[in-house]
Amino acid sequence: MDSKEILKLEYTALKLRRNILRLIRAGEAGHVGGALSSVEILTALYFNLLNIDPVNPKWKERDRFVLSAGHKCLVLYAALAERGFFDAAILDTYGALDSPIPGHPNMHKLPGIETNTGALGHGLSIAGGMALGLRLDKSPAKVYVLMGDGELAEGSNWEAASAASMHKLENLIVFVDRNKLQISGPTIEVMSYEPLDERWRSFGWGVRVIDGHNLESIISNVKQTPFEKGKPSVIIADTLKSKGLSFAEGKVNFHYWKAKPEELELAEHDLNMIEEQLRTKIERAGL
Amino acid sequence: MINELKDPRKTFGEAVIEAADSNQNIVVLSADSSSGSGLGDFPKKFPDRHFEFGIMEQGVIGFASGLATTGKIPVFAAIAPFVTARPFEMFRNDLGYMNQNVKVVGRCASLTYDQLGSTHHSIDDVAIIRTIPGVTIINPGDPVTIRKAVHAMIKHVGPCYMKIGSPKMPVLYEEDVDFNLGKGIVIKDGTDVTLIGTGTVLSKAVAAAKLLEESGISVRLIDIHTIKPLDRELILSAARETGKIVTIEEHFIAGGLGSAIAEICIQEYPVKMKMIGIGDHYASNGPYEELLGKYGLQPDQIKETVIKFLSNK
Repeated sequence: MDSKEILKLEYTALKLRRNILRLIRAGEAGHVGGALSSVEILTALYFNLLNIDPVNPKWKERDRFVLSAGHKCLVLYAALAERGFFDAAILDTYGALDSPIPGHPNMHKLPGIETNTGALGHGLSIAGGMALGLRLDKSPAKVYVLMGDGELAEGSNWEAASAASMHKLENLIVFVDRNKLQISGPTIEVMSYEPLDERWRSFGWGVRVIDGHNLESIISNVKQTPFEKGKPSVIIADTLKSKGLSFAEGKVNFHYWKAKPEELELAEHDLNMIEEQLRTKIERAGL
Repeated sequence: MINELKDPRKTFGEAVIEAADSNQNIVVLSADSSSGSGLGDFPKKFPDRHFEFGIMEQGVIGFASGLATTGKIPVFAAIAPFVTARPFEMFRNDLGYMNQNVKVVGRCASLTYDQLGSTHHSIDDVAIIRTIPGVTIINPGDPVTIRKAVHAMIKHVGPCYMKIGSPKMPVLYEEDVDFNLGKGIVIKDGTDVTLIGTGTVLSKAVAAAKLLEESGISVRLIDIHTIKPLDRELILSAARETGKIVTIEEHFIAGGLGSAIAEICIQEYPVKMKMIGIGDHYASNGPYEELLGKYGLQPDQIKETVIKFLSNK
């Protein structure tokens, strides 16, 4: 992939992180850790991979994105606003009464949101149904799902995983945002899912394990789906929780962040640093 | 023919196939449950529109929701507690909250899985599904209205829960009976008391009304086949005009038809009510008709309960 294109996407990823911070400023708190760990996945999807039209969000042939881990909604709102599904000023309503962007997404309140998620272990089944329906219609559209790794303890996911492989849903692509932390601690200590790749493989899926912050890798791997003929595909994306905020990265207590004013300043500073580095890269590339 | 006994599941399955003939969007999902739901012929007739999932009811509700987002009309029928109590959160979020056009059918409902015991009874399904905004709940009381309910449910856009029993049930209505979702049917007019029945025990209410008439009591008899949305006007007029209401259901007294009617009456036109149903305990097991007798749901028992209720000044 063109390195200029990648740089542009990296800059978009920074904008998404800024949008997430904007949401946190408005709501004073939010599920920031898993939103920041999946910024590159959503950047790759909404700014490169997804066949969508913000002007016609219900377009029948569109690709679908299902945020199974609904608490990561800050990154979804950040991406949809940046992609033009709604006015970015809506981000400033986070936490307010009747805000169209609740703490877990509501498809009836905003365009571009495909499902009402929040309770874990629902998204994969719903996405499987979408993939089945699209296949019945002979649609070329694909269905993408983002799951958390803590979410994988929900048994309903494995019902859905079996059914998706049984029904050979080649048009279904799942990301597991493996940031390795959940509320109570390291995920594999709370409820181990290892060996995760083997687990998915044994359920009949094509599996890849990648660096979930590498935009080029995310895009090139998605373009190779289905990884195996007649199987749904899962990309286990290794990520860092709260990626981008130096004081929060990899720390369990930033799953849900009640932001103090001094932390917000620090966060702003961290994102400015990322911007400086990016600008240097962009200048060197002569863009 | 009136009083002819018909299999509710067979009737249901035939109606779904009838509807699917003219509506290409209908798909049937099975949790190892289609053949037991009267839908054994559906995959033979529409192999591309029948999806088997095995025993995973939670997941099937999610798949149904996803299919509905693409314009399909999924029909998912299985043993009643396994499509209501077990996947309740999926019903609430994926169908209710997402407002998806999915038709969930609980069969062998209420006590009709008689001797299989409380895990297989569904005498709480109306209570729990009734709490989900926007879900239509249909509980038809005879084969004619089961068939009509299937067509009405398919025509209605939105999530539905329909329940049907298991043993053969008598035909109570002529084929041309007017059936509309959300509208009760006045089977018989009367002035002393209103009996309101639903579902599998509607025929018991019909028989009880006859016995009461023979004892000189003027009974108004109403079939509430749609428990949600409830026919408010019909219930309030019965309250105003007869002053006393007895509800008859094969369900917990808590949260069922009687509760739903009381919620309306107590706020708008309070009248004396008697609710016949199952109290706060797990139902026992045994032959179906004997089980109904254990819970006071046989016609002569209903008659005695009503007479006692009317004499209680």
